Amino acid sequence: MATSALAKDIVFALRQQIAKIEGALPERLAAPDKAEESAVIVRRHGVAAHTLLQIGVEEIDAALGGGLEAGALTELHGRETRDAGASAGFVLCLVSLWMKAATAAPFILWIGTEEVFREAGFPYGRGILGLFGIPPENLLFAAAPKPSDALWIAEEAAVLSDFAAVIVELRGSPRALDLTATRRLHRRAQKVGRPVFLLRQGAVAEPTAAPVRFVLSASAAGLRETLDGPLPLSIGPPGFEVEISKSRAAASGRFVLEWNADERIFEDRRRGRFAPPDRGALVSLSGGGQAVEEALGAVVAFGQSGARAAHHQPSREQHTAHLRPRRAS
Amino acid sequence: MRLKRGMGIADARAMHPSIEIVEAEPDADKELLDGLADWCDRYTPLVALDGVDGLFLDISGCAHLFGGERAMLDDIAKRLLGQGFCVKLGAASTPGGAWAAARFSNAAILTPKSESAFLAPLPLSALRLAPELRERLEGVGLRRVGTLLQAPRAPLARRFGKGLLLRLDQALGAVEEAISPRLPVAPLSVERFLPEPLVRMEDVEHLLGLLANTLKGDLERRGEGARRLELQLFRVDGLVSRIAVGAARPLRDPRLILKLFRERLAVLGDQVDAGYGFDLVRLSAALVAPFEDRQADLVDSAGEEGEGIAHFADRVRARYGPETIVRPVLVESHIPEHAVTAVAVEDRLEAMPIPDVQDENPERPIRLLQHPELLQVSAEVPEGPPIHFRWRSALHKVARSEGPERIAPEWWRDRADAETRDYFRIEDTEGRRFWLFRRGFYGTAARPPAWFMHGLFS
Repeated sequence: MATSALAKDIVFALRQQIAKIEGALPERLAAPDKAEESAVIVRRHGVAAHTLLQIGVEEIDAALGGGLEAGALTELHGRETRDAGASAGFVLCLVSLWMKAATAAPFILWIGTEEVFREAGFPYGRGILGLFGIPPENLLFAAAPKPSDALWIAEEAAVLSDFAAVIVELRGSPRALDLTATRRLHRRAQKVGRPVFLLRQGAVAEPTAAPVRFVLSASAAGLRETLDGPLPLSIGPPGFEVEISKSRAAASGRFVLEWNADERIFEDRRRGRFAPPDRGALVSLSGGGQAVEEALGAVVAFGQSGARAAHHQPSREQHTAHLRPRRAS
Repeated sequence: MRLKRGMGIADARAMHPSIEIVEAEPDADKELLDGLADWCDRYTPLVALDGVDGLFLDISGCAHLFGGERAMLDDIAKRLLGQGFCVKLGAASTPGGAWAAARFSNAAILTPKSESAFLAPLPLSALRLAPELRERLEGVGLRRVGTLLQAPRAPLARRFGKGLLLRLDQALGAVEEAISPRLPVAPLSVERFLPEPLVRMEDVEHLLGLLANTLKGDLERRGEGARRLELQLFRVDGLVSRIAVGAARPLRDPRLILKLFRERLAVLGDQVDAGYGFDLVRLSAALVAPFEDRQADLVDSAGEEGEGIAHFADRVRARYGPETIVRPVLVESHIPEHAVTAVAVEDRLEAMPIPDVQDENPERPIRLLQHPELLQVSAEVPEGPPIHFRWRSALHKVARSEGPERIAPEWWRDRADAETRDYFRIEDTEGRRFWLFRRGFYGTAARPPAWFMHGLFS
């Protein structure tokens, strides 16, 4: 009995070591009894928990098993090229969160093909600065002629410790982007412990080495908050519809997130952004039983001809006196 | 054969019925001459084109490398003959003298002060004169250079202009004449002549490493590093390949230099064809800059932050061209596409103030189309936001809109007919957010207003 327990221990240790060498992906094990939600076990072979990038919304973090693995290749799909705003926005949200969480190097490299920058628009420094707080001087853009060139640049950049994150943007499903290429990117990201985001516009899901794939689409923006409550028909903080379409560690799910550009955090759309606005009077009532003074100003109809006009406006006679034709004497 | 320049084809055929006619190709001739000039770089960095059929080589200080002037001329003649060219050569201490020696002698080498004796019996065409001037001179009986030399200078200048005397003085060396080289001369270059041509690119790379080592010593003596490097490969059959790489920071390290050239050669691939082999390999530092020597840290010998990025950018640019990797910089401008400009990674624009975002916080898209794209738009009221629009042949229905934000042209920079834009933030029924603008006003401008898509919000 004792020997079998010892053997089990040794086998377990060896398995762990092999998993570490192979860089095995974390996997989600079915909880023994479904009754308890938190009974889900996520096995992370050799990946330290502190390299998790927490998205900051409980449901999605829980679904991902604690957060997104930072030192990994993460695939993000935009359904169509015209969704490029939403998908690029979500990537920048993640980068912004990562830079806030980790005191990494300040530079970010964004690699794309010339085609995708032409079709989906070049990333615009002013907008990125305003919404995500990433200064333009820390952004580097590389425009490669072909997808295979973009992947070459990405591989070279992924091993550099000077970049906090690398974004690779491709359009469609190029042949160069196969299991081998993505696996090379993933292994480099694992080694350096920094995220590599593979942003794909108008692509179909196909096998890649990325452990997590998000499918992104735009969601209606929230309303602008004013002191007087939300402003109707305004376009406020951007919304993202995020679907976890592939993950060994995560339960699949669909989430609607909202980016708060002031705090630089995600907020769950279903929850209110702020506490319900207090619609009480702005000025407290005076004490001592005195009558509250009526608000200043009242609607007054324009006075009749000759009558005294409200608000010291000149009467018609006064007003037009100087305009009357003078009678010749 | 009594054929003359400027003769008609019909006349020539009448005289020689079996004559072969080949059409002149001035462009191809020019290309060939350029190629020859490239090849002549092996003798001297100062090579200039002379008209359509000649080359000037400034061999001051180079002749001894080839065993003297005579040996050098023989070498040139032999090698060019091997390539299938018949050349006429001449050397002199002045360009004018060399020009005449090449055309009116058999590889003569004129020593200084011997030009007048050499030129005296020659016809006036040895002086590089304009044809009409030569005809005028011959019209008055001046047919030899010698007669011109004996004639008094003042009447000659009065009658035939200063150009004649200038050409005379240039030929005799009384007036300095400089040739204008085709290519700038590199401050530093190292080269290796090879008795046995190199055929394999691996050997070229190995030799490149050796040359880079030699160059390092030269650069160290000067306290400089190379910002641009050029590798010149001279093939035995006369083709010259020039391969250039740039560096963000001054470079000395042979390993890094070799790495950059490897990237460039990997992309060029078959374009650099060794053929029968290279017999001369030259590495030159085309642009140098002061090199800052930094003392290594005792605790941490890691380089300065950003050094890795600079080398990474160099390698990317060596492969894909200098515009591949850029950094955005904010610029003071109201026009959205001018408000951000791209600079090279290493450029530090400290002088340019970065405007405070908190100050003015207009909502800007995160992606901007490089060229605004024309839209088909229906709007409820002419000046108002659209109710639906068609972009890239897909219909978008507008759910919400904000605007307009009016951006007037910058009159101090734009053309006079630049038009005001009214920008709208639009959200369509599927939640995508766009930045569109209407160019111009209704009823005032000559052309009707048009709608454009300019950017995408997140």
